[in-house]
Parts: sequence; C-alpha cells; structure tokens
Amino acid sequence: MLNRNIKEKGIESLLFAAGATAVIALFLLCIFLFREGALLFENYPVSSFLTDTKWLPTATKPQYGLLPLLLGSFVVTVGSILFSVPLGIASAIYISEIADPKIANVLKPVTEILAGIPSVVYGFFGLVILVPIVQKTLSLPTGQTALTGSIMLGIMALPTIISISEDAISSVPRSIKEGSLALGSTEWQTIYKVTVPAALSGISAAVMLGIGRAIGETMTVMMVSGNSAIIPGFPSGLFESVRTMTATIALEMGEVPQGSDHFHALFAIGSVLFITTFIINIIANYIKRRYRFSL
Amino acid sequence: MPETYENGTEIEVKNLNLWYGDNHALHDISIDIPKNSVTAFIGPSGCGKSTFLRCLNRMNDLIPSCRIEGHVNVSGEDIYSRETDVVDLRKKVGMVFQKPNPFPMSIFDNISYGPKIHGMSKKEMPSIVENALKSGALWEEIADRLDASALDLSGGQQQRLCIARTLAVKPEVILFDEPCSALDPISTSKIEDLILELKKDYTIVIVTHNMQQAARISDYTAFFLLGDLIEFGKTNQIFENPQKKETEDYITGRFG
Repeated sequence: MLNRNIKEKGIESLLFAAGATAVIALFLLCIFLFREGALLFENYPVSSFLTDTKWLPTATKPQYGLLPLLLGSFVVTVGSILFSVPLGIASAIYISEIADPKIANVLKPVTEILAGIPSVVYGFFGLVILVPIVQKTLSLPTGQTALTGSIMLGIMALPTIISISEDAISSVPRSIKEGSLALGSTEWQTIYKVTVPAALSGISAAVMLGIGRAIGETMTVMMVSGNSAIIPGFPSGLFESVRTMTATIALEMGEVPQGSDHFHALFAIGSVLFITTFIINIIANYIKRRYRFSL
Repeated sequence: MPETYENGTEIEVKNLNLWYGDNHALHDISIDIPKNSVTAFIGPSGCGKSTFLRCLNRMNDLIPSCRIEGHVNVSGEDIYSRETDVVDLRKKVGMVFQKPNPFPMSIFDNISYGPKIHGMSKKEMPSIVENALKSGALWEEIADRLDASALDLSGGQQQRLCIARTLAVKPEVILFDEPCSALDPISTSKIEDLILELKKDYTIVIVTHNMQQAARISDYTAFFLLGDLIEFGKTNQIFENPQKKETEDYITGRFG
C-alpha cells in the first residue's frame, strides 16, 4: 500500500518535471537573451539603438541602429501577409466549402507537406527561380528584393494559414449553414456572411501564426532579399534590397568576438524579435476575445 | 385522402420517389397539403418523414447521393422543374430545424439576415425585426437587448428566434422539423401556441415524434412507415378512427 503510494507520487513528480522543463527553458532563455542584450547599453545608449538610422557594426565608429533592420523585417512581413492571407483564406474556403470531398482530401495533405519543406530549400528555389524572374519582369538592378522575400515568406506561411483556417471553417456546424440556406441565401452568401464570420476567431489565429512564421523566418529571407541594411522607402522599399532582424543575427553572429558590443547588439536585436512575437500573440488573443459572437 | 380543403391546397405532391444512392427511401408518395392549416407528419424513426419534409424546400439538394423523381407543386409551381430558382423557393417555403440553429451574431442581425439578402433596405430593418420578433412571440422578452448575442438566449428562446427569423422573409409555408425535440415542456407549449397562432397566415407542415403534439396542434395528420405514406386524413379521424392496421398499431403504441 505504502509502496504503491510512493510509486504514484514518484510518477507524478516525474511528469511534473517534464511539464516544467518547457517553462524553465523559456525562462532561462529569456534571462539570457535580455541580459546579453542589455549589456550593449553600458557602452551604447538605448536611444541611439532605437533611433539611429544606420547599422554599421564594423565602422571605426560603429553604429548599432535598429531601425533599418526592424523596418526591413516589417516590409517583408507586411508584403508576405498581403500576399498570403487572401490567398490562404480563399484556399481554405475552397477546400472546406466548395471542393469535391475527393479533391479536398488530396489538397489538404499536400498543403501540409508544403510546411515540411526545409526553409533552405525554399531559399534555394527563390534564389534560382524567383530572383531572376523578379529582376527581369520589373527591370530591377537586382532581383534580391523585399518583394522576393515577401513572396517566398508568403508561400511558407500559406500552409499554416490554410490548414488552421480550414479547420476553423469546417468546424462551423452544418446546422448553421443549413439555416442560412433555408432562408433562401445562396451558397456564396452563406459562406461570406455566416460561415466565415463564425470562424473568424480561428481564422485570425491562423493569420497571426502566419505572421509569426514570417517574422521569425531566417534562412529563406536571407537568401532572397539581398541583405542591405538600409531603411526601406515606402512603397519603393518593396523593390529594393532589405535586411531583416533575423538575417542580421544569422549573418553576423559567426564573426563577432564574444562579449563585444557588436555581440551584445545582436542579442539586443534578438530581444526585440522576441518581444515582437510576444506582442503578436497578445494581439491574437485579444482578437479572439473581441469576436464575441464567434463560435 | 380528403379531396377538397376549405382554404384550398398549398402543396401537391404526385408520385414522389427518393433514393439515397441505391437506397430507395421514399416510395411513390402522393399527398395534398392544405393551405392555412397545420399538417403533421408522424411515424417511427427512419420512416422518411423528415426526408419527405426536406423535399418540400429542396434541402435534399445538399446531399450529393440523393435522387428525386416525381412532382411537387407549391402554390401551383413545380419546384423540381428546370426553371425553378431554389433561392425563391426557399424564400417562399421557410424551415425551422430540430435543434435551434441561430447564427453566431446579435439577435437583431439574426432576424435581419434574411431580409437583407433579399434586398430589403436598411431603413426598414428595425420595423421588420420588431414585427418578426412580435410574430415569433419573443419581442417582450428581449426588446431591450437586440444587440446581445443570440447564443446567450435559452434553448426555447433560440427556437422562437429561429421561427421569427423565418417569418422575417415572409414565407407562405413554414416547415418544422421536430422543432421541440430539444426543448423542455414549457418551451414546447410556447412553440405549440405559436404554431396555432401562425396557421392563420401560413401553411404549416410539422414533423413530430410526439403523437400528443400532433393531436394537439394539427388539423391533418400523415402517417409514414418505412418510406411509405400509409394514411393521411383529418387528425381526429387518424387518431380516433384509423383506416389502416399499421396506423392503428402505431397510434395505440404497439410499436414505434
């Protein structure tokens, strides 16, 4: 009896430890990230980090301006969202509401396979196929632009957006759709006035996760968007080379002496990235609660 | 079968057969449904009464394997002819479902949804909504919270909202598919009272599992068994003096 109790308790504690690992890992990671980042500000003022317009870490008088990188990430992400959200939601509607079940049963798994392709493969594809196309069709000096990065990131965000939106849309009860049809609305009126609004919280979660994927993506964007750390113009920035926060860390981390200002500056950028994704999650939760009529 | 009705005939069905794939679910159904009366369809589960009801507003169109032969005329028009617009048909023949199915929107938007898709102007909406809710016997309970979510209403209120929503598009016929099977007795009696009120202006067809309900509210009753229409007549005749043995067995509770 006593023996059995000890065993039960032992298993419980083991499972607790397993559950706690993720939380502890996250906690330690945060501390490490923020501490290393904060060390930059001993030698370099926070205000300059946030407002300087140049990222020149190897100049004789180095400048660690966040803006070009932050705006680089912003332009690429917004571009990818403009492209992937309408396409993703449209595909999700097609798969769940319109397509013949036989076609839907092929489309959905294929879409999900798209998510499993390594990002370096996307990058390679973008570099070899898309970059020359963008350069030629728009007659640009280089095809490695924010636009190219946006398209590639959009393609990469598509499986997330499609898959989660599709789940949300197909979980809208059939009875509600029948109610709408029985009032004499057409299939399309039912889709865009009843079904999609009812699935809105799930769809916005899908969009937010898509944005998260786009902001955090590194390899692909580094390979196709040119990496020049200049503040992008608007909207001309789409057709210029940009460098994202993620690409900067990946490109430079290997070459900086540990403990240098440059090293800490990269961690500061990492902290900004972390905070950005954190804010996106909060927004996603807020949106979920705002659509109080959603199912 | 009664030959002529006091108020005339609303729906005429001739030799209707229905298949789900290879399953012959309805056999040669012919029935005339009277105007401005309540007609009840009774019968054990799986007898085809709900399937038949769904033929009357072509909801079975949504089931890909479903095939229908025969004629259904609603106020003189063959609803299965090529020229029929399903949208117009469903506007004319409304339907209330077994489980209340309000849209996840406000009460106001639930009612105004139908009129809006049929092109009524925004200005008219408040009065349309008020009238529909009054006809649906719901106005007094919720007049002060039209912006609340329809999902916050009780089950009985939700079902009356669904009835009001159907009334808002001004149908001629309302089909009820076991509208009280998910409701408590008090909500059920409210809906029954409402149906009796509505038959003054609408033709009502109701599928019910509950024979007492059929006896209480209907003028005519049709008894279905295994895809056949066994007997159809005035409700008191069906319950007091059934002509067929199967009807009698079912009414007296020998099966079903």
